[in-house]
Amino acid sequence: MKKSIQSLLALVCICAVVTVALALTNSLTAPIISKNESASANAALLEVLPDGGNFDVLDLGTYTLPSTVTEAYRAENGDYVIKLETVGYSSGLILMCGVDADSIVSGVVCLSSGETLGHEKTYGDNFVGKSADGAEAVDTVSGATKTTSAIRGAVKDALNAVIILGGGSVDIRTEEEILNDNLSAALPTAEGEFEKHFFVEIVEGVDAIYTAVNGAGAVCVVGEQFIGVDADGTVVTDCSDELVGIVTAAMTTVGATVTEDIDLTAYEGLPSQLVLAERTASGNYVLEIKGAGYGIVGGDTYHPASGEYIIIRVSMTGDGRIIDCLTVSEEETDGIGSACADESFYGQFDGKTEENYNDVDAISGATYTTDGYKKAIARAFESVKIFEGGEG
Amino acid sequence: MTKKSNLSVFTNGILRENPVFILILGTCPTLATTTNVFGAFGMGIAALLVLVCSNFLISILRRVIPSSVRIPCYIVIIAGFVTIVEMLIHAFLPELYDMLGVYLALIVVNCIILGRAEMFASKNTVVRSVLDGFGMGIGFTAALCAMATVREVLGAASFAGIPIPFLEEYKIEFLVKAPGGMVVYGLLIALVCVITSGKGPKKKSFGCTGCPSVGLCRSGECEKVSEV
Repeated sequence: MKKSIQSLLALVCICAVVTVALALTNSLTAPIISKNESASANAALLEVLPDGGNFDVLDLGTYTLPSTVTEAYRAENGDYVIKLETVGYSSGLILMCGVDADSIVSGVVCLSSGETLGHEKTYGDNFVGKSADGAEAVDTVSGATKTTSAIRGAVKDALNAVIILGGGSVDIRTEEEILNDNLSAALPTAEGEFEKHFFVEIVEGVDAIYTAVNGAGAVCVVGEQFIGVDADGTVVTDCSDELVGIVTAAMTTVGATVTEDIDLTAYEGLPSQLVLAERTASGNYVLEIKGAGYGIVGGDTYHPASGEYIIIRVSMTGDGRIIDCLTVSEEETDGIGSACADESFYGQFDGKTEENYNDVDAISGATYTTDGYKKAIARAFESVKIFEGGEG
Repeated sequence: MTKKSNLSVFTNGILRENPVFILILGTCPTLATTTNVFGAFGMGIAALLVLVCSNFLISILRRVIPSSVRIPCYIVIIAGFVTIVEMLIHAFLPELYDMLGVYLALIVVNCIILGRAEMFASKNTVVRSVLDGFGMGIGFTAALCAMATVREVLGAASFAGIPIPFLEEYKIEFLVKAPGGMVVYGLLIALVCVITSGKGPKKKSFGCTGCPSVGLCRSGECEKVSEV
């Protein structure tokens, strides 16, 4: 018993003495350490804003800023440094962006990142001396599209943030948010949830139709106008009689579409990649086809990175003109081949025929994916020819 | 063991029982911090300071610390000194602090320090313990610097950050990577072995007594087993 108390006392005493020593050292070094750290943080600020001098940290609580902005500093001369955190190829891409009072970028530095190719270290230099329009025009780097477009987006956010911090106002909504806001304004009863309609008929005059997920109706996009139509087919947005006519006709065409499944076994020589085919009453076709992406190089070799097909849905007229095209699923490399699921890529096939479907812009850095996609489109043309009784 | 003179206690750690090349202790910081001479020197000095201070204090307290709790006591003392050294380096040598990173804090579990506390400071007078700390610390620093010199000069064509232009085209980048560290370490151990012509202490003379767990096991029995 006496021994264990002795041991306990010795240990407690030693711990107490060590704690006091640590506390003393800490009280001596803590101010110096924090001074050094703020000096090195200041050095990072000066790197992006060489004429900055001293900086004040701004309280961002009172402003509505782009979500990527994490910190903002104002220099003595009225210039700003904005710290941003965004998601490139992986999350945690942290940037420091200097912007002078005239909204010109003075420097972009990457503080930390989990990117793979190192473009984040140098890409920011492209923005030095650029205004908002100039920043928009900076090209992304092929093969590092995610990283570089995230940086470009962050720089634009920084420029917007400076306008807001200076008392101005900017639209900081993303394109998707703007679209959704416009759709909701045209048809408030849809409660903000829409799905893009996949065209199987040629509809004159209407660029796109978004149907309300809750069945409240649809919104037709005609040029820059958003026209709401309720579930009974009545136009609910104020617009000219001509537009009412176009929209009503379009909705009638879309609503009257009847499709029947085609029995694939009844035809010979169909590509094996054809999954599903439907014919409309008007003689158009809707096909679902597998394409070989990066996953299956050259048609049948499985690449270890991915073993899945790209599945596309395409609608076309009996004489071989694409009406609409959509990526149903894909398992391509994130940030590279996965761009085949973006409308900016597959939307290019709309209106194309067998003669000119190859004239679309390839996905930057993803040749296999683009080729696989085009092959799937070629199979669609082939299948429709067989259905129409021509040669395969 | 015959009693050594104070001088031989001091010189012991520098070559005859060099912690890195003969005792093969502290391998982790040896491999990790020797890509640059400046970093290696800083690491060596930091370890030397901790070694001298902890040897000093443990030697003073050797009769006070009950043997059943001596390992926790040593760890607390060593961790205290390491944290103090870490704070001082953070405050006054921030560049070195960034370079050493986590290895600075890891001095706490460096076997050299715990090993010397257990093997030497807990059994010897204050003066001899401090001399042993200096000797071992200098041996450690010298070994790190020697290894860092080889790796940095041949691997990065620079010395302590100063570029050596005529080597620029012939540098072997492999050497500054982890496997290169292993290779250089092995070659230097071989070289030291040749220089001392194998006169370093035989395993027996530092084997069981040098083991930090010696007090916990039935002393000497593990040695008998290992010699079979």
